[in-house]
Amino acid sequence: MIAVFDICILIFLVAIAIIALSVKDLLASAMILGIYSFLMCLLWAEMGAVDVAFTEAAVGAGVSTVIMIATVYQTSRKSSD
Amino acid sequence: MAPMKIVALITVIITGGLLLYATGDFPAWGDPLSPANNSALSRHYIEQSRVETAVPNLVTAVLADYRGYDTMFETVVVFVAGLAILAVLGQGTSRERAAIQRSAERYQERDMINIMTARLIVPVLQLFSLYVLAHGHYSPGGGFQGGVMFGASFILIALAGGLPEALSRLSIPGALLLAGLGVLLYGGTGLVCMMLGQNFLDYHILHRLLPATDAVMARYHAMLIVEIGVAFTVTAIMFIIYAALSSRGRMTGGL
Amino acid sequence: MIILQITGAILVILGLVFFLGAAVGVVRFPDFYSRMHAAGKGDTLSTILMLLGIVCFLIADVPWAAVIHGDFSLLVEPILTSIKVLMIALLIMVTSPTSTHALMQAGYDSGIKPHLSEADDDSTPSDEETPTP
Repeated sequence: MIAVFDICILIFLVAIAIIALSVKDLLASAMILGIYSFLMCLLWAEMGAVDVAFTEAAVGAGVSTVIMIATVYQTSRKSSD
Repeated sequence: MAPMKIVALITVIITGGLLLYATGDFPAWGDPLSPANNSALSRHYIEQSRVETAVPNLVTAVLADYRGYDTMFETVVVFVAGLAILAVLGQGTSRERAAIQRSAERYQERDMINIMTARLIVPVLQLFSLYVLAHGHYSPGGGFQGGVMFGASFILIALAGGLPEALSRLSIPGALLLAGLGVLLYGGTGLVCMMLGQNFLDYHILHRLLPATDAVMARYHAMLIVEIGVAFTVTAIMFIIYAALSSRGRMTGGL
Repeated sequence: MIILQITGAILVILGLVFFLGAAVGVVRFPDFYSRMHAAGKGDTLSTILMLLGIVCFLIADVPWAAVIHGDFSLLVEPILTSIKVLMIALLIMVTSPTSTHALMQAGYDSGIKPHLSEADDDSTPSDEETPTP
């Protein structure tokens, strides 16, 4: 049961990583990376590494998304490639 | 497709294939016979950390005591990252400054609902981050998590009420002072251990200074001191990074 | 305690139904504002309902027979967990509508126009209010 859950999260992770790379809008890319961090947090919590999951939720999904969006707001919103 | 992109794609595919091939050698998940469970060092941590440090949370004991060097230089890395961002984002050109001034005027009137919710959330968030910091010996948490949450509370003030509002509560010089103080607290604990005749970050000797402790409880309390230092640095640097990046180093306006 | 379990199951299923409604609304609605409306309302309500359902399950799992015979220490842990879950529900009740509002405000400030069809004026009343001659 838990292995099925794991595999679902891992498939989502790969899909979201590809989407984050292929999206042209950098604001959307930053938000998708936030989703990626939340899924990583879920995976770690499920595997029993609660400390790492907590750090990921606070740093990866919370603060770093805000900082990336602030940077996108101050620079350019379009990806150059 | 550009030729460099094709080279990059091939490199990534080969690396990913090798990594996937290597996962075949992993021990099964939760395998009691895996090497990570059976080296002498892991067994020592698992069996003795409760006896040697009186900290129930093994992760905190390893992070702040057995691998104190690692955590100390992680803190230093965070500190240096904040300093570098402040150094790179100087005052900006005059055109940028004018643009930021304009955006600051555009968002002059702040939204009442956001400010009221921030007023409701920020005290709860700060109290909870202190709980996370202080309760790291017993549950998941500790200096990094508590510090990030405390820094996030200042970022929330900046998002809801504007960057000057947040800067009036924690100014950039004040934040730099706090960050330096955190690193000093961590390194200073190690130096005090050295002065008492032990190795750097060998906390058990601190029972000569801390009242009513033995060699075990000295390690317990020294870990709390060290985590507080980490929390100071992380709080200040998170806020500095946000403030500098959201205003191009001008420290006005912001998002 | 079967009643509490049934209540919990109903609340969780109701929450899932509202989540489905929110997801369908995000996909089907025509413009930014109505999509945010569906996402914000459905998200908040369904999360709170599911958390209340979890609280019902937690209370139902207490060994009540032992508690009635005077072993009140068994009550401590489920009640503490329930209070934590209720605090999460309270937090979501405050923050989720605010974030929806902030997103809406940001969209309005950056000039997103609502989708107004030609049939939006008073000439086509909705089905319920159609006057019957």
